[in-house]
Amino acid sequence: MGNLIILDMCMCPCSQCHSHDAAQLGRKVAVVDYVEPSPRGTRWGLGGTCVNVGCIPKKLMHQAALLGGLIRDAPHYGWEVAQPVLHDWRKMAEAVQNHVKSLNWGHRVQLHDRKVKYFNVKAGFVDEHTVRGVAKGGKEILLSADHIVIATGGRPRYPAHIEGALEYGITSDDIFWLKESPGKTLVVGASYVALECAGFLTGIGLDTTVMMRSIPLRGFDQQMSSLVTEHMASHGTRFLRGCTPSQVRRLPDGQLQVTWEDRTTGKEGTGTFNTVLWAVGRAPDTRSLNLEKAGVDTSPNTQKILVDSREATSVPHIYAIGDVVEGRPELTPTAVMAGRLLAQRLFGGSSDLMDYDKVPTTVFTPLEYGCVGLSEEEAVSRHGQERVEVYHAHYKPLEFTVPGRDASQCYVKMVCLREPPQLVLGLHFLGPNAGEVTQGFALGIKCGASYVQVMQTVGIHPTCSEEIVKLRISKRSGLDPTVTGC
Amino acid sequence: MQLLRRFLALDVSRKPSQGQWQPVPSETLQTPQCNPAGLTVTPNPARTIYTIRISSTTFNIQNGPDFQDEVVNSETPVVLDFHAQWCGPCKILGPRLENMVAKQHGKVLMAKVNVDDHTDLDIESEVLAVPTVLAMKNGDIVDKFLSIKDEDQLETFLKKLIG
Repeated sequence: MGNLIILDMCMCPCSQCHSHDAAQLGRKVAVVDYVEPSPRGTRWGLGGTCVNVGCIPKKLMHQAALLGGLIRDAPHYGWEVAQPVLHDWRKMAEAVQNHVKSLNWGHRVQLHDRKVKYFNVKAGFVDEHTVRGVAKGGKEILLSADHIVIATGGRPRYPAHIEGALEYGITSDDIFWLKESPGKTLVVGASYVALECAGFLTGIGLDTTVMMRSIPLRGFDQQMSSLVTEHMASHGTRFLRGCTPSQVRRLPDGQLQVTWEDRTTGKEGTGTFNTVLWAVGRAPDTRSLNLEKAGVDTSPNTQKILVDSREATSVPHIYAIGDVVEGRPELTPTAVMAGRLLAQRLFGGSSDLMDYDKVPTTVFTPLEYGCVGLSEEEAVSRHGQERVEVYHAHYKPLEFTVPGRDASQCYVKMVCLREPPQLVLGLHFLGPNAGEVTQGFALGIKCGASYVQVMQTVGIHPTCSEEIVKLRISKRSGLDPTVTGC
Repeated sequence: MQLLRRFLALDVSRKPSQGQWQPVPSETLQTPQCNPAGLTVTPNPARTIYTIRISSTTFNIQNGPDFQDEVVNSETPVVLDFHAQWCGPCKILGPRLENMVAKQHGKVLMAKVNVDDHTDLDIESEVLAVPTVLAMKNGDIVDKFLSIKDEDQLETFLKKLIG
């Protein structure tokens, strides 16, 4: 009794942790995982989106781009570096791909170590306790279990209504696995995927354009999102705002010609690119699961799986975690934590539920944006303008001074309740190492820190992080929020 | 690069039945044949992925049947080098081992297995870290090691295998 099957389409880290914990708690556990190749044929090993086509390769390529900037700064600091320094995509890609492969291997060995049975087959439900898959060689595999967890994640959408989109474009599933440089690239989309990819492509020296239908980073604080794109625009990324593509054609010389409509002017535009990268959203990977055979309900709008606070679906012993779930953040750490807590609840006698409140995250654009809690507009919407106080500052990282880097978009704001002790509702930081800066503050905010407590915290000097504890100017005061020298 | 634990489950002193590659009994995916990968035997000339023969004494394992023919059924003892693209020490051990094998004038052969290409074979045979080197004679594993060795140590290892 109490055995467990975890269904993965892309072997997410969340199910890894869940399966490990369950196996450690003495249960028989099987993981069923399969990666459907992308339309371009890209495939990958164990670890899910994060490891193979998300966080990990993204952060490494972002780092490659940042290094380009640091190399340009270096002569100011006395280094004799011949400029311009050129970037070799192939070398970077190989290094990144090798690291990902080592992680694939590590995951595989871990499953083995924890005595988790692994089936690399595409599986679907037969009934609510049974899944069926077909292995290489045509052999059918039937697995049944008392509990089943669905963690199949999502895949990038293709805008199928745009002629040539599927045939000629790629997505984030492909970009990290390209052996050759993507060259002059058009990134279509305004998501963090779009901006992060466009960001590192620009940073390694490629001619990059972002085409957005409307606003950047929908769902994020819009003031911060504008600063993110402003920074990118002033550092070499082209933006085509208010435009939607209508067609992609391949030219005789192999380049791609894209036609679009400018919604503000109504005029048509065209451009030539080597690569078109679609970053227009992600869809849950549920089609081949035969969820109806198990009686698992999905959202009619998004097709994501509906769960309650215990991660249980409409069928009591079937659970779902990660990107495939409706209403959850599409983040690795929340999925991992939810998986672990689920294992503890199922087999470890715990009753702790996953708390999705005040989850910090960071967008790794060239100038990074870290945030936790509510956006300013969300805070105002919930509490009313009069009950919200926003403290803010434009600051200049010390490291920018010597090489004369532009710090116009280095900005931080804290959204608080106006009523003493002024509970912190949200923190937004735009600057270098935003992820490292935000992580610690997330703990404070999770613990219910107030503005008073933040102000009582002594800063570490000289850092960008200290600007948060030095916030004194409110938006309401109308005073100039520019931080003056040390 | 030692990733995780050692090659424990296979007891070197225990001899599996003659002439057959015995993967460590595992509960992973059952494949139809006893060779885990189960792909075509002879490389199709029209679809050459890469050369099998690296030199007269060293070759890459392409797949299961390849493994059966070239390693298990080999009359000459074979050293199996499990390696990976992302493994630094493998890049040092590989050429060094190839060199020492070549010096034995055909008395021992070397088969290279890329663990990323043959993950099921590796996991089933309990190869959990790279580099792992197995010594095979008459289809049985008779010796093994899991780290970088210098040329003298490799010489001793190979001579012991040849007998």
